[in-house]
Amino acid sequence: MPEKDSKGNEGNKGYNNATEGDKDAYEKLTNMGKRMVGEIKEGMSPTFITAIRSRSNIFVDEKKGFLKLGDKRETRRFLNLSQAKTFMQTIAVANKTKQFIEQGLHTSIRGLYYQLKFTLGEDLDENMFEEQTESNALIEDLEASLAIKREDLHLTTDRKGVLAGPIKIVDRFGGDEITIDGQKQGRSGWMIPSDVDNGMEIESVDANYVLVVEKDALWQRLNEDKFWKKEKAIIITPKGQSSRGTRRLLRKLADLGLPIYCFMDADAWGWYIYWTIKTGSMNLAYLGQDFTVPEARFVGVTMSDIKTYDFLQKLTIKAKDVDIKRANDMMNYPWIKKHEEWVRELKLVLKTKKKLEQDALQGPRLTFVGEYLREKIGNGDVLP
Amino acid sequence: MALEQNFKEYSVAEFFKKNKQMLGFSGKTRSLTTIIHEYVTNSLDACEEHNILPNIRVELDEVGDSKYKVVVADNGPGLPLSLIGKALGQMLAGTKFHRHVQQRGQQGIGAAGCTMYAVLTTGKPVHVITGYKNKMVSCDISIDFKTNKPKIENVVESDSDFHGIIIEAEFGDVKFDKGQYGALEYIRRSAIANPHLSISLKTPDGNLVSFTRTVDKLPRKPKEIPPHPLGIKSHDMLEIAHSSRMPKLSQCLTTDLSRFSADKVKQLKDMLPDIDFSIPPKQLTWSQAEELVKAFKRLKWIAPRTDILSPIGKEQITKSLSAILNPEVLSVAERPPKVLHGGIPYQVEAAVAYGGGIKSKGEIMRFANRAPLLFDTAACAITQVAKAIDWKRYNLNGLDNDPLVVLVNVSSTYVPYTGAGKQAISAEEGLVDEIKNAIQEAARGVKNHIRQKKKASEIEKKRKAFLRYVEQLSTDLSYLANEDASVIKTGIQKIIDEKFGGGLNA
Repeated sequence: MPEKDSKGNEGNKGYNNATEGDKDAYEKLTNMGKRMVGEIKEGMSPTFITAIRSRSNIFVDEKKGFLKLGDKRETRRFLNLSQAKTFMQTIAVANKTKQFIEQGLHTSIRGLYYQLKFTLGEDLDENMFEEQTESNALIEDLEASLAIKREDLHLTTDRKGVLAGPIKIVDRFGGDEITIDGQKQGRSGWMIPSDVDNGMEIESVDANYVLVVEKDALWQRLNEDKFWKKEKAIIITPKGQSSRGTRRLLRKLADLGLPIYCFMDADAWGWYIYWTIKTGSMNLAYLGQDFTVPEARFVGVTMSDIKTYDFLQKLTIKAKDVDIKRANDMMNYPWIKKHEEWVRELKLVLKTKKKLEQDALQGPRLTFVGEYLREKIGNGDVLP
Repeated sequence: MALEQNFKEYSVAEFFKKNKQMLGFSGKTRSLTTIIHEYVTNSLDACEEHNILPNIRVELDEVGDSKYKVVVADNGPGLPLSLIGKALGQMLAGTKFHRHVQQRGQQGIGAAGCTMYAVLTTGKPVHVITGYKNKMVSCDISIDFKTNKPKIENVVESDSDFHGIIIEAEFGDVKFDKGQYGALEYIRRSAIANPHLSISLKTPDGNLVSFTRTVDKLPRKPKEIPPHPLGIKSHDMLEIAHSSRMPKLSQCLTTDLSRFSADKVKQLKDMLPDIDFSIPPKQLTWSQAEELVKAFKRLKWIAPRTDILSPIGKEQITKSLSAILNPEVLSVAERPPKVLHGGIPYQVEAAVAYGGGIKSKGEIMRFANRAPLLFDTAACAITQVAKAIDWKRYNLNGLDNDPLVVLVNVSSTYVPYTGAGKQAISAEEGLVDEIKNAIQEAARGVKNHIRQKKKASEIEKKRKAFLRYVEQLSTDLSYLANEDASVIKTGIQKIIDEKFGGGLNA
């Protein structure tokens, strides 16, 4: 519990509804501060220790199959000229997020940037931050240093994912508690919030699997067909690259034992979206296991589908340079290279120099999309 | 007959009347500076020759539009009535001409040129009062342009123990300027290069600026030696021969030139069988002189004596610069004498002064034989060399960025100027290197001081860089850790002070 009001505190009553995540983050922030004050009292420069997030410290967890940071740590000292300002900024960010937790209020990382930008006082002829990229990097530093998520620091991210299907979620928000039924979301579906951990609970799931659909158009197609009802599946579209909230929710659904199938284009972007869900990305390797779903499988579309479904032959399009380059790159990633099925698929792309969009499955008839998915998932015809 | 009548003969005075810019009379400011320069250098040379510590007083009064009254008074030996006309009223008649010795002026046109300029611009003669050997003479002098003869009028003689010269004259088309080309700057620089000089200037607005000598000893007198065969040109050879007192050309060569042995004459005879070395030197023709000078260059010569020069001196420069500029740090370099073109002895001195009383950025003070060079800055080898120096090597940011004075004095029996104005030293091979060596040597002397100073200011800058964030960090950390802000702040300040030695401004 906070012992006193912080600067600019709007009251700490928000903290009365604190979640476990809030409490954990709050405690970690306070302890970090106490450790630094301890260093100062001993006549030493206060230090901030965080994991190095550069490529040299990114590794694949062979056993579980996701990208994670290695053991390399970076110690930043206030009494180092090149680090003094960054150090001061880091503490400012930490302090500000602690206040957000106390107040029970949330904002975006841009909101945080504006909260801090002009706080350096009139004596100094500079701003706390000139660019938002400066504060963004420090948020990632804090996440990596304290092993917490920015959502725990009451920083929200853009919502993008949409869900429908046999799942019930309890949402405690603004003092109310409501239950969301994934089967009663009509044509628009339920928008996945940025934080699915704090104040959110999965009450019940009655699904056989989860289907991630790259494009919103295809998701709408399946929703109209009541695919989720017929298949007892939860259908989610990240609408392109997955948001943090979507990835976190997928992880939680996988933890409940649900298979995760991904339905993407057979091109550079589609593959990238899939592998980010499955193993994470270089940029977000610091998030580690909590944001990856190594169990995910790629249901399609694939270039091999052309053999099974003749009509697709005519619906391929010419691969772009970026697709060819991406295919080449992927064949060299150790975590992809080890899957023969993927190597075969990528070689086919390189040989034919073609790509295929998931939309093409609507060629024969609109409802064919569902038939295709049912067939492939039923036969276990998926890529690892 | 008709041809002779049309062929008008010009006197030297008339020639210079038409070409006064050659004497430095171009532009109002420059003209006044030239006038001061001519009188002051005359006074200095005269005093030094007679072992008198010079006191010079200059007064300027504005008496009309672009018209000034100039008074220059010295405590030199003065002049007898018989020489006044030659010294002040006849061009090319001074004591300096045909002398091969290091002196400030080298053409002897100076003071007479001023008389000419006074008459030309005001129509009034120059008033002179001079005390010489217990006789005092007061008179008015002007020049007859047609005949180059002095006109002396209103002569009053009396007995007096006063020695020295007081010149009072009015000049038109001149202007007093406090800037870098003006009379005040000229006098300031004269004081710097002549630490044994006391000089004062009363400016037209009534202010008195005085520079008191910092050295009570006269500089070593430059020795007069015959010119070196490699240091002369054809017309020099002709002049030397025509003014020789020797009966034969061979004797003229061995007597009137340095390092010239009988053996050298023999070698020349073999090389130039067409020249009769027994002729009286007065009969030497231009083409013979030309052949001789050409032949000199093919012979091997012992270098000229170099101990005849009179540089300002390391200690003297240090004293005068310290007194006049009051710099934070100063370094002076005196290079050993060198020989130009095999025949002309010269010596370069340089000083680099930084900070303290110096406020101007990268001021280059140029001197030739202690006489300040104020004009034709860009054309001068000293300026060019000083600007080309890589000042960063000496921990400086460059001439345009630091409070810096660079002084260079070139001493020589024959300073190579770029033009008749004698305001810029020409970039001769060898001389350029020596100027560079001298400036670099001086710069090395300030290097360490400036490094330490910059280091100290770097540390202070760092300390301040940390201190600027202490307030913010303490406040934030206090909330973050639920600890007292003032305890944190004091603690951080203590750590910073420990790291930077307690702080410079603490």
